[in-house]
Amino acid sequence: MTENLPEQTPKQKRSASTSTFSRVLKYSGVRLVTLFITIVIGVYLTILIANMGGYVDQIMRSEIRERVTLAVTQDPANRDISPEQRNKLVEEKVRLEEKRLGLDRPFLVRSVNYLKNAMMLQLGRAQNMTSDSGSKQVRLIILERLPPTLLLMGTSNLILFFTSIFIALALSRRYGSWIDRMVVALSPTSSAPSWFYGIFFILIFAATLRVLPFGGMVDAPPPENRLAYVLSVLKHLILPAGSLIISSFFLSVYNWRTFFLIYSSEDYVEMAKAKGLSSRDIERRYILRPTLPTIVTSFALMIIGLWTGAIITETIFNWPGLGRTIFRAIGLYDTPVIVGTTIIYAYLLAITVFLLDFIYALVDPRVKVGGAQS
Amino acid sequence: MLRKRLFFVFALVLIASMVLAACGPTTEAPATEAPATEAPATEAPATEAPATEEPTPEPTPEPTNRVGGWLDSITMVVASTDSVITQLEAGEIDIYASTLGRAEDFKAAQEAGLKTAASFGGYYELTFNPAGPEFTDGRLNPFANPKIREAMNWLVDRDYIVQEIYGGLAKPKFLPITGAFPDYAKYIDVVRELENKYAYNPEKAAEVINAEMEAMGAVKDADGKWTYNGEPVTIIFLIRNDGDGTRKPIGDYVSNQLEDLGFTVDRQYKTSSEAAPIWIFSDPAEGQWHMYTGGWITTAVSRDQGGNFLFFYSPNSAYGFTPLWGAYQPSEDFENVAQALDRNTFASLEERADLFKTALRLAMEDSARVWLVDQQAFAPYRSEVEVTADLAGGVQGAQLWPFTLRFSGQEGGDMKWAMSDLLVEPWNPVAGSNWVYDTAAIRATNDAGFMSDPFTGLAWPQRAERAEVFVQNGLPVGKTLDWVSLEFVDEIQVPEDAWVDWDAENQVFVTAGEMYPDGLTALRKSVVYYPADFWDTVKWHDGSPMTPADVIMSLIMTFDPGKEASAIYDEAQAGNLEVFLSTFKGFRIVSWDPFVAEYYSDSYGLDAEANVVSFWPSYSQGDAKWDAIAIGNMAEANGELAWSADKAEANEVEQISFIGGPSLEILTKYLDQAIADSYIPYEPTLGQYITAEEAAARYQNLKSFYEAHGHFWVGTGPYILDKVYTTEKTLTLVHNPDYPDKADKWARFATPKIAEAEIDGAGNVVAGAEASFDVYVTFDGAAYPADEIESVKYLVFNAEGALAASGDAELVADGQYVINLSADQTGALTEGASKIEVVVVSKLVSIPTIVDFEFVATK
Repeated sequence: MTENLPEQTPKQKRSASTSTFSRVLKYSGVRLVTLFITIVIGVYLTILIANMGGYVDQIMRSEIRERVTLAVTQDPANRDISPEQRNKLVEEKVRLEEKRLGLDRPFLVRSVNYLKNAMMLQLGRAQNMTSDSGSKQVRLIILERLPPTLLLMGTSNLILFFTSIFIALALSRRYGSWIDRMVVALSPTSSAPSWFYGIFFILIFAATLRVLPFGGMVDAPPPENRLAYVLSVLKHLILPAGSLIISSFFLSVYNWRTFFLIYSSEDYVEMAKAKGLSSRDIERRYILRPTLPTIVTSFALMIIGLWTGAIITETIFNWPGLGRTIFRAIGLYDTPVIVGTTIIYAYLLAITVFLLDFIYALVDPRVKVGGAQS
Repeated sequence: MLRKRLFFVFALVLIASMVLAACGPTTEAPATEAPATEAPATEAPATEAPATEEPTPEPTPEPTNRVGGWLDSITMVVASTDSVITQLEAGEIDIYASTLGRAEDFKAAQEAGLKTAASFGGYYELTFNPAGPEFTDGRLNPFANPKIREAMNWLVDRDYIVQEIYGGLAKPKFLPITGAFPDYAKYIDVVRELENKYAYNPEKAAEVINAEMEAMGAVKDADGKWTYNGEPVTIIFLIRNDGDGTRKPIGDYVSNQLEDLGFTVDRQYKTSSEAAPIWIFSDPAEGQWHMYTGGWITTAVSRDQGGNFLFFYSPNSAYGFTPLWGAYQPSEDFENVAQALDRNTFASLEERADLFKTALRLAMEDSARVWLVDQQAFAPYRSEVEVTADLAGGVQGAQLWPFTLRFSGQEGGDMKWAMSDLLVEPWNPVAGSNWVYDTAAIRATNDAGFMSDPFTGLAWPQRAERAEVFVQNGLPVGKTLDWVSLEFVDEIQVPEDAWVDWDAENQVFVTAGEMYPDGLTALRKSVVYYPADFWDTVKWHDGSPMTPADVIMSLIMTFDPGKEASAIYDEAQAGNLEVFLSTFKGFRIVSWDPFVAEYYSDSYGLDAEANVVSFWPSYSQGDAKWDAIAIGNMAEANGELAWSADKAEANEVEQISFIGGPSLEILTKYLDQAIADSYIPYEPTLGQYITAEEAAARYQNLKSFYEAHGHFWVGTGPYILDKVYTTEKTLTLVHNPDYPDKADKWARFATPKIAEAEIDGAGNVVAGAEASFDVYVTFDGAAYPADEIESVKYLVFNAEGALAASGDAELVADGQYVINLSADQTGALTEGASKIEVVVVSKLVSIPTIVDFEFVATK
């Protein structure tokens, strides 16, 4: 494709290289600023939504009053105090709790603080939640749940991604075969969510066959020996990871297979076939190569998608993942935790989107960074 | 072609099976993140035993030599509520100590041959907006009229709710007291009278409501709908759709009943968070709502529910600051009675009985809320497991569970215990996690001066031996058990050397003589006696013996965090201290060996047993040795950690956790420092009780314990907290071989001794002639000893359901009673089907047994 390009002089080359550099630099700058503004808007919207524009303050105030009043009333130590003393105690405790949660400051001020701290990755302290080890630091709340999340989501998604692609690639070359039709027929099974399969898996493998555990991440009590611990975790991983994989497997294969099929029927593929190239060469050079940007994009988004966890599947299997943490944070209106997880996701997404532009240029010679307009 | 068809059929079958399965009950979305405050669940008829009908295993007949808990180890885990029954059936777990409330789970547990332990903490009601009769915008509020509110009692079929919504796992509730708690049985005659009076009667409800609506100016339109000033009378009904899901069908049922009477009902389904700002905090006069599906919870057996009237019906309630409670307008009589019962301003228990019965009647006439059901939750466990369950708190809420949990007929063994959550917040004894799941685990590591009776709420001596209670003449205090003596006196003088306050600056106690030179009196004094070998027998889990310094430290910590001059001053504790000091009058150590201590106060409870202070070194969330408290105090004083969540938040530091997280490193640092300095905390006071050598030995023991177990949670209870796995939400408890008591000490509390009763008599009674009925009271087939029976009362209802006669049955022999109705009593009967009810109240269990016998009255 390049043989028709006119030859360039060294000066022209230098000039072109300078121009490329400045173009990339300019593009990067604009892109970064755009992404940053997008993140700011996205995170601030999250803060507004998480607080329902300040309405959550009203809900939290009600809950605090109700909780404190009940606690004071039900405490046997307060059984004999006068109503005035009781009310005074309630008021004092409510004041302290509102102060602790920052409700003594206007929502607007707090929302700007949340945003500022979030952008600087100062995740701060949770309002209601604690980490598994008892810390209020949002950083620890997230970090403690990250390894189990990455283990579950990483294992299942990587297996799903690569097996889907390779099976789909093979199927695209065997269009109309019985196995191809079986995959198409089974693709509606992915309409059921992973927890649906999880329940069946628990019933079959844990309750009936009793070969795998009902849930949790490791045996209770956890084995002291490291190898035994790892094996125990793997045993506990099978059902949740299996349900996540099986719930998306056929649809994923079907999607990729359809995608590859478009490229498999291109003229240059037919030409390659006619030339007598091996199937492996055809797949690698003529199908995978042009589809690489899409595969890379999908892979990158899948990787950052691991961050979100799988709320209900984690719940069904008692898996200590981030999904349950985020779900709980939403239920408790714990804005710092919600914002903390959101900002990390937003940064990861922005970085991925930014890098993908460059990766496209690397894997596809047709793509030129910052050259879209030209 | 054939293959294609096969695929097609296969795909169709698969899709169909998925659709069918998705419609089935097993696929219900797991909403397990329900708040802990959500009600436990339901209750069975009072005559039913809380445990299932499985044959109750007999306690080990032979005395055991084993000390401490029955088990070698307990592993606590978290289990998803959706798979609990299956996991129990498969042997994956042995007991699920949290409660389940769904009827289908109960049925599944029974089918799986599991045992269940019932608890009765949650109850539901209809809350009315009492503002009006017109809201500020002119709309009519029917529920401003007490007669309409009262008539709602007749409109609601509580039996229907119990059977159709709760699947039988509840008991109809008419009154603001719990059916399983002592006050219900105490005043059973009035209770049953009112329950009969307000039984389901839709015709009467319609009659009263129609008459009152017309009197208020409402008219029915051509469609039979109520209108007011030309507009339909629309009832805004806030129906909760979260929690255990039972309030939604309740709301729908009540809405249907109201619509049948001609009301238009606007059903607004809301979660707790959405509804609270409206029903509690909006101005009732604005009319943002008319009715709300309320729900409440009690986590321990309450022996005095006298405060419920003020709490639920009066603007002087603890909720009085809310607009809703502020709008309540109880009659003057009701308010006075409610206040007297709340503040115990009566002279005798007889006077209290009169007040209580009056309050029950007036509560029904006021009906600011209409009570619906007492819910019964249950904790399932495998058939080979034995455990004690608290009537209100269930298994996880029973103080006694660590002492009775075992495999039937077996000493030792490893048990797997599951709950719906665990390790929720940081554990520290001063102001740590008070989540019911964490508290359940903590109980196994704790001991106590006194133990709460899971079936009556009374206290029993554990480490303490006996006690004396002195109260001022004229105070309504009584006693039930023999370990405590009760004496009424003219005046209680606080001795000059009693400690009445704490000087945080100089770190010494302030005596009564210093603070009150003119003398100080108290309304109540308790004296607690510990056995002579107390200090020799009680050991902390790290091997240190308990010493007086542990007791003194707990007394100091009652005051110090609330004193501004303290290095560990905590604003959150100051309010609590102020309240405590308002009734506290002093404590005095009479002798250390044997350990005898006096407590003086102006506060008192109705039971002498509840008026004894144990002086046990326990803090709000658990026991602790003085050295463990000392290192926590060092970390807080240096601004690196804080005991309470409030102070931790204010100072932006971690809350102290003895079991995990960043705290451990900091605490270890201060432990090393304390070892190096042989540090004696509060030296001006504790220096009299601790030598430098003792201090060093204590710290060293704590350090060795930490190195062995990885945490600082050191108790004295029957189990030692061995390992904690925070992310895995798992902990292990191991048997404490140094525990002083035998394992079977509390064996008699393994099963609640709920009486069974039967009535026998003639099926025909002639009005005006004497009649006799025999009553048989048994437990497990054997006669119920008479000395364990509080009362056997009878109530006779005539053909109209009105109370015709009542009285006490006469004792014939153990388990056998006779009711002799006089000619005058039967003379009050009207012709037709009548009923005699017998209520058996045991001293051992607060749930009364109610049975009835129907007969025909003739003239």
